[in-house]
Amino acid sequence: MKALQIAATGMTAQQMRVDVVSHNLANMSTTGFNARRADFADLMYQQLARPGTVTAEDGTMLPTGIQLGMGVRPAAVSVVLSQGSLSQTGGDLDVAIEGRGYIEVTLPSGAAAYTRDGSLRRSADGEIVTSDGYPVAPGITIPDDARSISINANGEVYAYFLNQTQPQLLGQLGLASFSNEKGLEAMGSNLFLESAASGPVQTGTPGAEGFGTLRQGYLEDSSVDAVREVTELIKAQRGYELNAKVLTAADQMLSATTQVR
Amino acid sequence: METGGYVTLTRQSGLMREMQVVANNIANLSTAGFRREGVVFSEYLRQGGEGGSISMANANARVVDLTQGGMSTTGGTFDFAIQGDGFFLVNTPQGQRLTRAGSFTPSAQGTLVTPDGNPLLDAGGTPVTVPAGQIALAADGTLSANGQPFARIGLWAPVDPLALRHQSGTLFDGGAVQPAEGATLLQGMLEDSNVDPVTEVSRMIEVQRAYELGQGFLDREDERLRGVIQTLGR
Repeated sequence: MKALQIAATGMTAQQMRVDVVSHNLANMSTTGFNARRADFADLMYQQLARPGTVTAEDGTMLPTGIQLGMGVRPAAVSVVLSQGSLSQTGGDLDVAIEGRGYIEVTLPSGAAAYTRDGSLRRSADGEIVTSDGYPVAPGITIPDDARSISINANGEVYAYFLNQTQPQLLGQLGLASFSNEKGLEAMGSNLFLESAASGPVQTGTPGAEGFGTLRQGYLEDSSVDAVREVTELIKAQRGYELNAKVLTAADQMLSATTQVR
Repeated sequence: METGGYVTLTRQSGLMREMQVVANNIANLSTAGFRREGVVFSEYLRQGGEGGSISMANANARVVDLTQGGMSTTGGTFDFAIQGDGFFLVNTPQGQRLTRAGSFTPSAQGTLVTPDGNPLLDAGGTPVTVPAGQIALAADGTLSANGQPFARIGLWAPVDPLALRHQSGTLFDGGAVQPAEGATLLQGMLEDSNVDPVTEVSRMIEVQRAYELGQGFLDREDERLRGVIQTLGR
């Protein structure tokens, strides 16, 4: 009775869908978070009667034969790459990326990680760092006596001083992009790592061909759409119940068999 | 010759198979591009004793239901849905396969691939490489980057519609394929599975009850034979 296992694969799949939805909803107000989506594919098919089997002496063949599917498997949990809306914070070091691209940060290990979360800070030594304290590449240092900071759409960081009318250029923030952004490996804390599937990193300046622009004083909201997640949740729950029903029916058929003397 | 039991048995094993098909359909309720399957029972004649013949049930044929499924808006640049008849053609290690699941993504090399990594083929049968820029898909399958066309996705159909065979990964092995006409493509949408829960559940109940009926029949057949043996044995 394979229907039991098949229904179990269906229940597992729907359960995973609920997991993905709950992760999305939990991150409804995470800056720069992109929703995830679970994709499924059917499992292997068992060939009971191969199409083309000869069924009579005169050469009659089975036109279609019979194959029994074995259920469902998760195919991918992919990131839905849609821009979240921008909300104004007014912070000097809050930058939102409009369009494609990631801000490159340097992990304590020296490896590069990438993020869309542009809530940057100034560390004790004046370096521009993320809210977790990782330095933003290419290290830009803000002098102690800087009065205010201005970041333009192309990522150029200027500092204004009390006794000068002309701002001083401190450096330029770069952006990173990948041929397959969905292939980036998520490591939590809004950070992503390059992987074999993402392709090599391509760096560029904001506003260049294929890169977004920066907007100071704004942050990108999470792109989770609550209404959509809830409909997804309802679908997943009903799907789970249906598969549970199949399990019950298969069980009752089995018990009908066992009750024959 | 006691054949009642055997005839019921062929029906029972067929029903068991059909239950498995229903279970597989319901398990794939949310598999994008999945096509539901049905089982067809056919009569199977056996020469019986005294010149008569006996009909047995044989669940040895299946139908792939190619009805259009619903559409879900995903907003993904590389999520394509087919409206009408036809399939995408993808290249797999086993050869070319057809699929209705249109969730693609650019690979590390920049070619469009399925979640399992199989490259999508264009109307000429070559993989599609995606340039940078704003990608748009026209209804006829033309892909353009910033308004510059760079590829055309082909839609295909099997030469023999009966040759369609399900394969793991929402793929179909269709044998020889030919270009399909008349369907349109949509961007930012995915086609759902065409499994209708109501139909499947009602089918499932039918199968379950028919199976129990068969078991009841076998039960009474058993009693009848027992009675005969006891009567003759006195």
